[in-house]
Amino acid sequence: MSGIVCAIRGGPDSRSTIDHAISLAEETGLPLYFLYVVNLDFLAHTTSSRVQAISAEMHQMGEFILLSAQSAAAAKKLAAQGIVRHGKVVDEIINQCHEIKADYLVLGLPQGRDPENIFSKGQLQRFSERIEREAGAKVVLTGGIADE
Amino acid sequence: MNSRFLRALLVLIVIGVSLALVITRAHAQVETPEPERVIIGQVIDQQGQPVEAAEVMLKASGQTNPIAEASTQPDGRYTLILPSSNPISGSLSVDIQRAHFKDVDLELDASAIKDLRLGETVAMPVITLNRQINLAFWIATLTFVIMLLLIAADKLHNTLAALVGASIIFAFSYSSDLLGEGLFIFNFQGALHYVDWNVIFLVMGMMIVIAVVERTGIFQWLAFVAYQLSGGQAWLLVTILMIITGVASAFLDNVTTMLLMTPITVQIALALGINPLALLMPEVMASNVIGISTLIGTPTNILIGSYAHISFNGFLVNLTPGVILAMLGLTIYSQFAYRRELQVASEVSPLLLEKLSERAHITELDHLKKVGWVGAGMLILFIFGENVHLVPAVTALMGATVLLVWIKPDIEEMIEAVDWTTLVFFIALFIVVGSIQEVGLISMIADLIARLVGGSLLLTMLTVIWVSAIISTVIANIPFTAAMLPVIGYLSTIVPGAHSKVLFFCLAVGSALGGNGSLIGASANMVTAGISERAGYPISYMYFIKKGFPALLITVGLATLWLILRFLVLSPPPG
Repeated sequence: MSGIVCAIRGGPDSRSTIDHAISLAEETGLPLYFLYVVNLDFLAHTTSSRVQAISAEMHQMGEFILLSAQSAAAAKKLAAQGIVRHGKVVDEIINQCHEIKADYLVLGLPQGRDPENIFSKGQLQRFSERIEREAGAKVVLTGGIADE
Repeated sequence: MNSRFLRALLVLIVIGVSLALVITRAHAQVETPEPERVIIGQVIDQQGQPVEAAEVMLKASGQTNPIAEASTQPDGRYTLILPSSNPISGSLSVDIQRAHFKDVDLELDASAIKDLRLGETVAMPVITLNRQINLAFWIATLTFVIMLLLIAADKLHNTLAALVGASIIFAFSYSSDLLGEGLFIFNFQGALHYVDWNVIFLVMGMMIVIAVVERTGIFQWLAFVAYQLSGGQAWLLVTILMIITGVASAFLDNVTTMLLMTPITVQIALALGINPLALLMPEVMASNVIGISTLIGTPTNILIGSYAHISFNGFLVNLTPGVILAMLGLTIYSQFAYRRELQVASEVSPLLLEKLSERAHITELDHLKKVGWVGAGMLILFIFGENVHLVPAVTALMGATVLLVWIKPDIEEMIEAVDWTTLVFFIALFIVVGSIQEVGLISMIADLIARLVGGSLLLTMLTVIWVSAIISTVIANIPFTAAMLPVIGYLSTIVPGAHSKVLFFCLAVGSALGGNGSLIGASANMVTAGISERAGYPISYMYFIKKGFPALLITVGLATLWLILRFLVLSPPPG
């Protein structure tokens, strides 16, 4: 198995990431996988008992976001698979790359306040090295800012 | 033969019992004690509030052991009963001791002593205890402030911060035997006195009911119905979503409502090509506003209702018109603030709409019907239960139990659905707030406010509403409200016309609607922002202030107008 994993989380910042992944899939002919990770860490400081119910809702929202990306790929006559995983974003991206023995990981650089989703240059470098070491995938970065 | 014997036996028993009664009565008459020599009185604090658990001792001059002793009751009253064996000679004094107050030693005058000798009851004048600021005062105050800061700065989980606070209070109190009396705040029994179990059980019961409701798919279905009703017109869609979210928040907790409404709202927005924030922000603000119209709509209302004995109807009657007014203002503001985002649904996706339609169905129709019946029953009990002194906590627990028995869900799952961390938070919070009440900080704050407002009800109302609203934008409104309750209780007794509990309604409005002023102002805001960010639409702190603070000014302003109309114009205080 091989392919391109494109980790997205929706929103305007994801558009360039999706487009880039589609272009890469067209160039390489590799299968494309859009990945959404359900991460509920934000509930830790508010409510812990609602995890089960909200997890299912977030899963559906993730599928919905992926459907948009899949539609964009379909418009280019490209079949893309949507995958929703649950857990820590970084860990689940690595797991997904590992599972399909991904050749490429396409990653956007979202702007946000969640420390887990902000990649400084140093963090990004370490993350890319980890991906390449553990999953053997080449990391392709698009959009966003990486200068924090 | 047998019956004759039984009859004779019965007669003997009756005679025997009668004789025994006569003898006992005669004996009792012979041994009638001398009239009791009794001293009664009442102890209050500087605010005129009764002081409970003060040790009252009657001492003879020159003696260290008391002749009689008693503790004051919740109404501050005490009764000293002098043993008949004790001859009354010389002078007598009543000593009163209470932690966190200065000792009082009051000598009985000659006529009181004479009355006692004659066996008459002596009524002492009301004794006022003065507060004593000692080390315990500063420990409790600092602990409370540190707890608030830890919560506000998000350094510790709310529950952990409150538990740390409670542990510090106990650690100092129980080390007072070794390190000095000045460290004592209260013991475990004293701390439990401050825990409002009505709140704990009400919250717990409602959590179980909510856990059943949230699995039925009702929110997802309602959101889709909102879309259908709007006919794809964004301005109408946001209005309907605000009403649905708000009404749900009036009966369920805001956090759960927003947890379930946010993902489906994001999906509707994406399908219609609208920025999800244009729907989510008005929704969460509506949730914070309409939640205050019922006793169970917000945790702050539950706290206020339990403390001030305000019924379900009390909130409904006194706040709902104000809430409707505030909602009108919020709806108009939302349409204006998001006019660009709501103008055109540019990229309506038939594929996404189809997907949305596929998912919009009730997943547990049978459960939903049962929830409907039980919910209706609970509503009736909430409304009419006060006539038979049925407290809301019991209604919530009964409703939850009926649901569990009727639906027979996995009981383990249901128990897990109870947010135990929140319940523990409430218990620990009550203890920490109780500690500042015990050492007198609350009384000092109440005194300060009373001096500032100078007895004007209007000024007091405005102060309570707006100060609560502004403070609730920066610190968690639950600990703030819990701390303010005794302050408001005191102000209600001294400000003319405030006995109508108007100040408690002002606190409800300020502390809950203040949540719209900032991202950290309400837990519902935080979970909405969390989900929204995970959909690629982050809500920053500044963004929330930019959109939320004007909403705070509008909604709190309109609710203030209503409260003034309701309590000062329509039902003006006597005099």
